[in-house]
Amino acid sequence: MEFTLLFLATAIVMLIAWRGQRPLALGLFGAVLIACVATYLHHATDTLKLSF
Amino acid sequence: MTQTRAITLNALSLYAVAMVLAAAYAAQFILHELPCPLCLLQRILFAALAVGPILNIRFGPRPSHYAISLLAAVAGAVASTRQVLLHIMPGDAGYGSALLGYHYYTWALIGFIAAIVLIAAVMLFDRQFEDDKAVLPVTGGAFAQIAVWLVIALTAANVVTTLLECGFGACADNPVVYELLKRGV
Repeated sequence: MEFTLLFLATAIVMLIAWRGQRPLALGLFGAVLIACVATYLHHATDTLKLSF
Repeated sequence: MTQTRAITLNALSLYAVAMVLAAAYAAQFILHELPCPLCLLQRILFAALAVGPILNIRFGPRPSHYAISLLAAVAGAVASTRQVLLHIMPGDAGYGSALLGYHYYTWALIGFIAAIVLIAAVMLFDRQFEDDKAVLPVTGGAFAQIAVWLVIALTAANVVTTLLECGFGACADNPVVYELLKRGV
């Protein structure tokens, strides 16, 4: 679900960058990037199934 | 480099992002390989790369617009490096099929590093940041407009396919079926 929301947020940021206000697009982009990093870190703490 | 040329280059970069997203779809629909969570994150960060060029086309080239694309590229490189390292052990078959000897996450790492180098190279040309008073359409012309809408459409399509794949819960580590379509059967 989190990936669907991240795609949706990215599409919204693109639309605002194209049609809306620049500061809003920059701010929302920052929020999306932080959410991406948080999602990455969340998955990075999963137990790894290593092959050795 | 004039502002007009910089905007053309930014439109070209949007076509490159669109090509990456379309290639990912080709693997998903032609080879029936569903993207894993890390693969989806890399797709999202490729899409995020496009926000800088869209802002450059709409408002004119600015260092801050290139900077946000650089941040997205660095985050993407980190995510794809992790996936490369997950499959680095000898004998590990990797995730998904390989294209020209490299798996998609390895190509993604190459793509993100290429983006970092290219953005840094384009930023070397200071003249693009001065208003050259060229008679530019506000939205960069048809070539740029098509590029922008293509990338937005592909990102919006990913919203739908990711929802179908993952459903309303957490995405499977190794997805083989579309969760929402499975429940419908």
